[in-house]
Amino acid sequence: MNTPNPNERLRKLSLKERYAHLTRGLDWQPTYQDKKKIFPFTDYEGIKIHDWDAFEDPFRLTMDSYWKYQAEKERKLYAVIDSFAQNNGQMNISDARYINALKIFITAVSPLEYAAHRGFAHVGRHFEGVGPRIACQFQAIDELRHAQTQIHTISHFNKFFDGLHDPLHMYNRVWYLSVPKSFFEDAITAGPFEFLTAVSFSFEYVLTSLLFVPFMSGAAYNGDMATVTFGFSAQSDESRHMTLGLEIIKFMLQQDEGNVPIVQKWIDKWFWRGYRLLSIIAMMMDYMLPKKIMSWKEAWEMYFEQGGGALFNDLSRYGIRLPKYHEVAKAEKDHYSHQAWSTFYQYSHASAFHTWTPSEEEMTWFAEKYPASFNQLYRPRYDYWAKAEADGKRFYNNGLPQLCQVCQIPTFFTEPTDPTRISTRTKIYNGERFYFCSDGCHDIFEDEPEKYLQSWLPVHQILQGNCGGTTVPEVLDWYHLNQGADNFDYLGSPDEALWENWQSARKRVIAS
Amino acid sequence: MTYQLTIEPLGETLAVEKGQTMLDACLRAGVWLPHACGHGLCGTCKITVLEGEIAHNEASSFALMDFERNEGKALACTATLEADTVIEAEIDDDIDARHIPIRDFRGVIEDRRMLTDDILGLWLRLPDEGIDFQAGQYIALFVPGIEAPRSFSIASPPSQPNLIELHIRLVPGGQATSWLHHHAQPGMELRFTGPYGRFYIRKSAGLPKLFLAGGSGLSSPQSMIIDLIEQDDPLPITLVHGARAPKDLYNMGLFQELAVHHPNFRYIPAVSGDISGWSGEIGLVHEVIQRLYDGRFEGHQAYLCGPPPMIDACIMTLMRGRLFEHHIFNEKFVTPADAEQARSPLFKRI
Repeated sequence: MNTPNPNERLRKLSLKERYAHLTRGLDWQPTYQDKKKIFPFTDYEGIKIHDWDAFEDPFRLTMDSYWKYQAEKERKLYAVIDSFAQNNGQMNISDARYINALKIFITAVSPLEYAAHRGFAHVGRHFEGVGPRIACQFQAIDELRHAQTQIHTISHFNKFFDGLHDPLHMYNRVWYLSVPKSFFEDAITAGPFEFLTAVSFSFEYVLTSLLFVPFMSGAAYNGDMATVTFGFSAQSDESRHMTLGLEIIKFMLQQDEGNVPIVQKWIDKWFWRGYRLLSIIAMMMDYMLPKKIMSWKEAWEMYFEQGGGALFNDLSRYGIRLPKYHEVAKAEKDHYSHQAWSTFYQYSHASAFHTWTPSEEEMTWFAEKYPASFNQLYRPRYDYWAKAEADGKRFYNNGLPQLCQVCQIPTFFTEPTDPTRISTRTKIYNGERFYFCSDGCHDIFEDEPEKYLQSWLPVHQILQGNCGGTTVPEVLDWYHLNQGADNFDYLGSPDEALWENWQSARKRVIAS
Repeated sequence: MTYQLTIEPLGETLAVEKGQTMLDACLRAGVWLPHACGHGLCGTCKITVLEGEIAHNEASSFALMDFERNEGKALACTATLEADTVIEAEIDDDIDARHIPIRDFRGVIEDRRMLTDDILGLWLRLPDEGIDFQAGQYIALFVPGIEAPRSFSIASPPSQPNLIELHIRLVPGGQATSWLHHHAQPGMELRFTGPYGRFYIRKSAGLPKLFLAGGSGLSSPQSMIIDLIEQDDPLPITLVHGARAPKDLYNMGLFQELAVHHPNFRYIPAVSGDISGWSGEIGLVHEVIQRLYDGRFEGHQAYLCGPPPMIDACIMTLMRGRLFEHHIFNEKFVTPADAEQARSPLFKRI
């Protein structure tokens, strides 16, 4: 019986142990400076950490191998970008309408990558524990790489199409881009734990598929291999990003019971903030991809209701429940993309991308994907607009919309229970009335009114004269929007003229 | 067609169907590997192939680059086997694991006795040095006329390598268990392989232990508790055994006797259904521990064995009471239906 077991050999160190030996004790203990002064942001959010070493390193990577991996990824990506340019890949996309999805990506998403770089660099300095600090520092470099590779990839399309020429300037000024900008600045100006809950958990983990799948599969379906490739390149970093999101949530929930309600509040807030931000993706998916992948409704069901459902089922063991107002998102899935597109359709004279009325074929697809809403509520509207356009009276809305004080989206969403009534909430704070698009945004304001009363709301700023002038053309100049080319309907745009020119040249070649 | 997959540093071996991904096979067998996207894009499930042959399939060339393929890396979520294979994964080895080689055994039934109306106790006599195992592990028993073996935990302690005890619940409609209930007789020979499983005592943590058993899930805890007591482990041990009716609480005498002689051992039988004539604890196991510990479990180690709903309810209660995955161990015999239940990558084992 007591014969030695041949399997009880001298054990090789596991990867985790090797990593621990490599990194252990590298942080220094301050002797002449108070630790609180070195890490001033650790405590004020109310998160209690008793043992920083209990943080599980979400990935075990050395700087040396990091550079090796990333350099290899860059080589592959830039080879694809070069061949795409050499083969005039821009001519082989499904339709020039597709480029409008890239216009949204480069002005609304790529600047977020850069903002994420700044955010992670900041918390990568300010976390007291060495584990999360290193994880954040790696991610800060990743995000910078993502912003750069996206700008490099899409710059090829800028040689041919409008609206792609000044994304970072536009991000800081254009009215609808204040939606992603304010989202991220809300996260960056929060404490380090809230920042990670907002970005690493809610955005990178819970909602990431809803952002990346539409863009990357959309690119693949529509012949844009360059964008697909930067998507893959970025997604291969996501393993670290998503795992950081999960680990930081587990870490907070396990370290102290008092952290649970704080984390729940942040999950509620950042679910709603992220979901509202995705309204622009919903519209992109359904309306801007000439070859469609799946509807917004299907994507929401697959990635949030099912995937997120499993996650929150597991999180319930910590006492965490599904985010507040998830049922509103469920009720809105039949309407979200249609209401967003309808709004941008009316304001295309002031946007850096084009809109159009959907084709009959697309409307048939919408009717099939949205049987509960499309034919009853949205088709009549498009029919009406198409007729006005045919009569030479393409509808543009010259009024300025009421923006939500929190998400900064025009208050165009309808009541979850009644899609014929606009949802508006108001709140008087210090004698001033504030407006919101939903209960979700109202509650976020109510929790931190002093933060959100500082919101830089584009419409208010225009009316106060802070945006280049008092007329629409002056404001658009201030946005660096190339008027007559970047804006208005796709029909009649230089993009359309160029595309039709390429198509007819191709037909001539085939005919000759 | 199946191949054998061995996962280092665990030393665990499992069968993988042709065309089945390594990740799928591991998760179904209860071996957790790091994973996230599940379709070859993110690289979270990267492993190293030490021996054997695999196909990468749909692994993204960014998530798994050419130089990594040359170095023997693969993504478990897309890779399938082309031969018997050994991999090394980024999982924690455990200093309490003994990595005992799996062997084939022939045992002769020495005794059989009904422990309750539907649980059969079976004792198998083994020749020579017997079976080496860690308390809590199970065997795969071949039942005559039935192709696939069935898993049963060993209820006797490792100090009895030549006589092992099994608790076999009659599964309604179950071929193997009904054969055993109706035909197993002393003198018969039964074939089995083992020992299997990663449900064993994590002694190195030095914490008080809480054993939660439901129905015939008493088998592993029985082995573990007797083993601890035989080794004079001084730390507190609590056993909560839940059943529907008092008559289903088998081996009560054994545990009452142990409790009398070993003050560090506490035995709490509990009844959740028919309580007539019962003066002990009432309720499901998770309800009983909630009361007993006032909902606080920090500083313990919990070992769970029983039907999946009982395990899930107990994990919820323990975690709400601030005892986390690191200190919770369970043997949940995973049925295909359980494996298909949607889970997130949040937890590794529980």
